[in-house]
Amino acid sequence: MSSTAYTWHFEAFYRHLPFLLEGIRNTALVSVLAILVGSVVGLVAAVIRLYGPRPLRWLVAFYVDFVRSTPLLVQLVWVFFALPILVDRSLPPLAAGVLTLGVYAGGYLAEIFRAGILAIPSGQRHAALALGMTGRQVLGRIILPQAVVRMLPPVASTFISLVKDSSLVSVISVAELMWASQSLVGFTMRPVEVLTGTAFLYVALTYPLSLLAGILRKRYLAV
Amino acid sequence: MSYEWHWEVLWQSLPILLEGVRITVLASLITMIAALVLGLMVALARIAGGPLGALAYVYVEFFRNSPQLMVVVWVFTVLPLVTGITLSPLLSGIVALTLNVSAFVAEVYRAGITSIPAGQTQAGLALGMTRIQLYRRVLLPQAVARVIPPLGSYWVGLFKDTSLLAVIGVAELMYQGRLVATDTYRPVEIFTGVALIYYVLAYPQSLGVNFLFRRFRVQE
Repeated sequence: MSSTAYTWHFEAFYRHLPFLLEGIRNTALVSVLAILVGSVVGLVAAVIRLYGPRPLRWLVAFYVDFVRSTPLLVQLVWVFFALPILVDRSLPPLAAGVLTLGVYAGGYLAEIFRAGILAIPSGQRHAALALGMTGRQVLGRIILPQAVVRMLPPVASTFISLVKDSSLVSVISVAELMWASQSLVGFTMRPVEVLTGTAFLYVALTYPLSLLAGILRKRYLAV
Repeated sequence: MSYEWHWEVLWQSLPILLEGVRITVLASLITMIAALVLGLMVALARIAGGPLGALAYVYVEFFRNSPQLMVVVWVFTVLPLVTGITLSPLLSGIVALTLNVSAFVAEVYRAGITSIPAGQTQAGLALGMTRIQLYRRVLLPQAVARVIPPLGSYWVGLFKDTSLLAVIGVAELMYQGRLVATDTYRPVEIFTGVALIYYVLAYPQSLGVNFLFRRFRVQE
């Protein structure tokens, strides 16, 4: 084995750490924007699927099933390479990445929100309606404030998945961590150290988030 | 604004895309089988505790928290340089996805085993069963019902995630799609077609998983 023993040169990784940190900044940016877009899309989808008119419900159900049954990479490539041709308008990589990740996460979040809303006993809705509240008031003042607490742990898990999945937008050349890492490999010719270091950077980013999600789960789901 | 569709291009390319489907299914199957075995070993190590348990914990947390694409690229690029062993792209991809999926599978097993009331373990030991007998006759048969539905979910996830192997040049469905899209200059029809093929294949699987969740619901 000694003939294949590899001499590590981690200084190639350390020296260019600022470049990778720039990538982390974009990974965070893409993930945060995507969870925001996803939350809005998901909430609208959940409310339509629960209370909307029937044909719209079917449409939303199809959206939810479709984004959850096709690979994110396929959706990303479709939005970046096919959508611009269809609408005859070019889409910058960052916008395409955030849009795709947001709509993708929206499909998962819609189901989380729907389950959270359904978990609130229907008697509360009936009582509020009997008191003369409008449907919107019932949702905004009675249901959502209680449901949000139950939704927090799964939403946190979705966010962690988004941080990891945001690595895919490197494929459409958004300069996040994965992209920065791969261009650094080309620059330093040290794939072993750079890629290994990047893997640890990702874990350093997501592991504390997982611990936090674990705390949320213990705190809010053990009710 | 109005786009002129040429669906006949998709029909003509269908045989090439279906060739990719074959690799997608193959990669998913081999990965799942390997992950089920590796995951069980990791789960048992974690339950056993000690230094081996600590190692299993690090393994699970590392691979659950690192992006699959990162692991795929790492196994493909770094592993041959460090170990001197060169794997084909398909095999590298299967190894990478196995590392990822086995970490999740290990947690499913662990949850399945530890969710069985401790009284049963104590009762079994009090009756003079060995640890192995306890697992084989008492714990595992009950755990199986609890782990099958979530394992189904990970299977569907894995089926979609094999698309990442396109990045390292494995000729699965996504890779074939990009190839054909470039060859025909018809990315709209081809990528729409690829998405639909994934949907047609994966959606019935997730319906099946929903059925498993209803069928194996544990009543306590």
